[in-house]
Order: sequence, then structure tokens, then C-alpha cells
Amino acid sequence: MAFLKAIVLRACKPRGVWGVPGAWFRAAALVLTVGAGLAAQGGRAPEYQVKAVFLFNFAQFVDWPPEAVPDSKAPLVIGVLGDDPFGGFLEATVRGEHRGARPFVVRRFKRVEDIKTCDILFISQSEGDRVDEILATLKSRPILTVSDGEAFAERGGMIRFVTESNRIRLKINLQAAQAAHLTISSKLLRVAEIVTPTRS
Amino acid sequence: MAFRDWPIRQKLTAILLVISGLVLLLTSAAFATYEVLTIRRRTVANLATLGRVLAANSTAALAFANAADAREILSALRAEPHIIAAGLYTQDGRLFTRYPADLPDDALPASPEMDGYRFERGYIIGLEPVAEAGNPRLGTLYLKSDLKAVSRTLRLSVAIGASVLAISLLAAYVLAALLQGRISQPITALADAAAAVSARQDYSVRAPKVGADELGALTDAFNQMLGRIEEQERALRASKDELQRYASELERRVAERTHELEERNQALRRNAAELSAANTELDAFAYSVSHDLRAPLRSIDGFSQALLEEYGGRLDDAARGHLDRVRAASQRMAQLIDDLLGLSRVTRAELRHERVDLSALAQSVVAELRGRDQERAVEIAIAPDLTVEADPDLLRVVLENLLANAWKYTAKRSPARIEFGLTRHDGKSAFYVRDNGAGFDMAYANKLFGAFQRLHSSREFEGTGIGLATVQRIVHRHGGKVWAEGAVGQGATFYFTL
Repeated sequence: MAFLKAIVLRACKPRGVWGVPGAWFRAAALVLTVGAGLAAQGGRAPEYQVKAVFLFNFAQFVDWPPEAVPDSKAPLVIGVLGDDPFGGFLEATVRGEHRGARPFVVRRFKRVEDIKTCDILFISQSEGDRVDEILATLKSRPILTVSDGEAFAERGGMIRFVTESNRIRLKINLQAAQAAHLTISSKLLRVAEIVTPTRS
Repeated sequence: MAFRDWPIRQKLTAILLVISGLVLLLTSAAFATYEVLTIRRRTVANLATLGRVLAANSTAALAFANAADAREILSALRAEPHIIAAGLYTQDGRLFTRYPADLPDDALPASPEMDGYRFERGYIIGLEPVAEAGNPRLGTLYLKSDLKAVSRTLRLSVAIGASVLAISLLAAYVLAALLQGRISQPITALADAAAAVSARQDYSVRAPKVGADELGALTDAFNQMLGRIEEQERALRASKDELQRYASELERRVAERTHELEERNQALRRNAAELSAANTELDAFAYSVSHDLRAPLRSIDGFSQALLEEYGGRLDDAARGHLDRVRAASQRMAQLIDDLLGLSRVTRAELRHERVDLSALAQSVVAELRGRDQERAVEIAIAPDLTVEADPDLLRVVLENLLANAWKYTAKRSPARIEFGLTRHDGKSAFYVRDNGAGFDMAYANKLFGAFQRLHSSREFEGTGIGLATVQRIVHRHGGKVWAEGAVGQGATFYFTL
């Protein structure tokens, strides 16, 4: 909400003679108050290439708690648990990229126990049966869990990719993220569908 | 009518109006320019703000390729009518979303150009990078705004400027019309006074003084000048009157004198006529007397001669001596009468003018004198070739008299010498006859030429005392002058000009 406030204040500042800034202000306010619309995108790129980019982009709209960031130059780890569906897309996407001073690193894990440090974890469909255990294991750790598995968000995962008529949409379990002390940007929430877990 | 011929009131008003109009115009122009520049800058700033807000809101839509959300975000631009086109481009430069949704493809650039805001063909084009703070760029926001705000501002500025100009000019006109009188009124008064003075020549007019400024000083100076002119005019008139008086007095006197002179002239004319008559009478008298006296003289001489010839033997010596004396006296008297007649003739004779050879004339007179008195030896010097334009008979009389006088008064001188020549006297030619005879006292020089005036007794030198008078008369009739120089015992020189 601090972000919102900043936007509103900035929009208010230039107050002119001819009343034009009033209109500008109204336009900005309107932009900020629109609800999240139904997402739709024309994806000509292969599905997992888009998903790799999305994974990378999540880093920009999620804030981790300070204790999860040992130092400002620690690598930001994108992990893949189970069979890797991305091929080389993920590495290609994050190559040379930084979030602030933090470089991106892609790691692959076979078992949930292998996960030492991880910021964004993509749980492959190969782990479909063990999702509940995995989520339980990772519970309250500041890891953004992402998957395209069935009812992933409802089952306690944080973000699920949903493919609808060739477009990739997002479902977000805000409570799970909050429980892990992750802050998801309202902008991300606006382009996603927020779901409530069926079980607590 | 040319500006310089306008009345000063209109000039002042016009100048004030022009100045205030110019000042207002320049001020309004500066104001409008400032307004336009400001609104342009502000429009760009506002567009940039809007662009930043929209770009910040569009990050997630671009990051997660949510076109519906992007459309939703851009559709908020409906609130801003100046935005006529907008578009979101992906990182690789593809058009992702457009606003308005029905915008044709060619209304937006195929791919975004350089970031920033610029004026382009009457629009403001803005390109804003879309990125989360500190993160890689996600795409570009394109905005296109018209400049109606600017032109509206310009129109408003012009309208305000025009109304301010109109109202101010009206106010300036009213003020100028009210206040110009303070400057123009004294000048007008001065001009009126000057016109009155020159039209009526009335120097008692005075211009009213309004203030103590330059115009006041001018009015004072003008009034003083008028005062001085009035004074001078009065003095002039007085002296003119006096002059008039003098003039009439002078006229009166001139008339008086003229009258007197006329009277005197008449008197003179009368006198001259009387004198002329008297002269004529006198000449006639002298002639008749001389003529009538000659006849008895001839009788006296003739009978005395007859007496001597016929009765000489019978008379004693004393009687013969008496008769000789009678004859000598009568002959002298006849000579006297001849001379008087000659003088009278000289006075009346008509003058002939011809070239006269004075040298030859003098030679013939001297030859005559020698013939008459052969025993005398006189040295004669006559300058040759002396000619003159004159009456030959009268000139002969002149030379006869002068040379005979010289001959006569050198009788007791040995050797005697007589000279006739030409000299110059006071720049004029003067003939002279010089002798070394008895001479005369210069104290009597003016008496020499009077009739019957004699400086020597007739016992010493015989003569009638008429010769020099005759000479003077002839020389005067020729317009000349005659005079003499001499000293007792040292000869005399007679000069004459013609």
C-alpha cells in the first residue's frame, strides 16, 4: 500500500493553473482503482519458455523477508524440483540478470530435502503426488512456490500457472505467501486470480 | 493632416496613447509568450507524470503478458481527452496494447523509438520505459497528446491581453484627455495671446501664467517681451510725432526760405536787367560822347594848324607856343577818345574764333614799334610757333598794348629787353610779356588793370591808362585771366591765359 500511496502523491504534486492536473490525477486514480481484469495473452512462444520468463519476472513483484536475504549480493536462486520441463529456457532467461545486486542462479533439486537455499521454487508435475508433503516440508520457509499442478494453490501452494485457451494465467494463494512472510506486489495480484485454500 | 499640424492637445493625447499602447502590447506579448512557454513545459511535465504512473502500473501486465489488464490500465486515459493515442510495447519492441482500442495500426509507430518527451508536428510524443525499479526493462509506453491545452492558453492569453489593452487604452485616453490640459493649456493660452498680439497689434495683451515650470517661465518672458515692445511702441510713436512736427516745421521753413530766395532772385534779376540797361546806356553814352567829342577836337586841331600855317609869320613865338600846346592837347584828347572807343568796341564786338599765330602777330607788332621809333635799340625775344584759338583782331589789341607798354617802360633802360613766350602757371599754359623796364610796386598790382589807373605820371611815361583795362576786358571775354608781377626798377611781367 505504501507503493500506492507514493503513486497517488506523485500524481497530486503538479497542481497547475488551468485545472489540467485534476484530470491527470483522476486518470491516475482510476488506473489504480481498477480491479484485476481477466488476464489474456497471445503466446506464440513455447509454453515453458513463457513460464521461464514468468518465473524470472516473479522476482520483481515479490519481496522476501530480510532474514531470507543473508547479504545484498547473495544469489537469487530459482530452483526446479523434480523433472525439469524448461530445458535451457530458464538459464537463457536469467543469464546475466540481476535483482538489485543479486545475480540469478538456477538450481535443480531431486528431493525436497536437498533444498538448502532457494527463493523461487518451481515444483514439476513429476512431483504431483508428493506436493502436499513438499509444501508441508517447506511450510513457513520464505520460498515462493510455483507449480502448474492441479489445484496447487488451493492445496497450499503460492502461485499456479493455469493454461486457458493457449494463454497462461496465474492463480495466487495470498494466505500461503503471507504465511511464509512473502510480500506479493498488488500489481502482480491484479493480473492474477486470488484463491483461498480449501484447507487451512 | 500631418501629425506636426495637429493641435498640441491631440498630439499629447496621441503620444500618451501610443506609448501606453506600445508598453501594454509589449507586456501582453511577453505575458503571452511566458504563458505559452510555461504551459508547454507544464504539459510535457504532466504528460511525463502520467507516463510514469501508467508505466509503473503496466509492469505486471507486461511482465505476465496480460493484455486485458494492459487495456484496462490504458483505458483510464479516457479521463484525459488530450491523449489521442497510447500504446504499450514489449521489451522486444512489439506492440502489445493500444489505446483507444479501435486505433488503426498506422496511428502508432511499429516499434518505439528513443525514450523521452518531444514536440512533433503539433503533438507531444512521449516514450516512457516500463520497468520495476532496479529491474530489467519490460517494455515501453508510448503516449501522444495534442497541444489543445497550449493553444487554448494562447487564445486565452491573447483574449486577456486584448481586453487589458482595450481597457487600459480607454483609461489612458480618458486620463490623457483629462491631464494633457495641464501642459497644453498654458501653451494654447500663449499661442492665443500671440495671435491676438499679431492680429490687432495690441501689445497690452498679457498671457495668463499657470505654473512656475518652464512654460511659466516662457509665459513670463513673453509677457515681459510684450511689455518692452509696448514701451518701445509708445516711445516710437512719441518720437514719430516729434519727427512729424519737425518735418512740418522744416517744410514751413523751406517754403519760407524758398519764397525769400524767389523774392531775392526777382530782385537780382531786376538788378541785373537794370545793370545791363545802365551798361548799355553807358556804352552808348561813351560811344556817342567819344564820337561827338572828336568832331570839335578835329576843328580845334585843324583850325590851330591853319592858324599856324597861314598866320604863323605874324605871330610871335609865345603865340606859336600856345598854339602848339593847343594842338598837342587836342591830339592827346583825340588819342584818349580813340582809346575809349576801342575799349567800348572791345566790350560790344562779336567774338570770332580761329587759329591765331601769336608769334607772327607779336613779330608784326614789334616791327611796327621799331618802325615808329627807329633810334631805339631794344633786344626782342619772341618764342616761335605759339598759336591759340581766339579772336585775331582782339588778340592783336592785347599784344599791341602789352608790347607797347614794355616798349614804353624800357625807354630809359639800356640795353632794353622784351620777351614774349609761353610758360606754365597752376597747371595751365600762360603767355607772358616780360621787360626789364621801370617795373611797378606789387602793392598796386590789382590797380594796374583799372581804366584810367596810372602808376606813373604822364610826364614820366605818356599814356591814357586805358590799355591794360582793354587787355583785361579782352582776356575776360575769352574766359581767361590776366595778372602781372614786377618790382620797382626791375621790370615787369604780364601773364595772360585764354
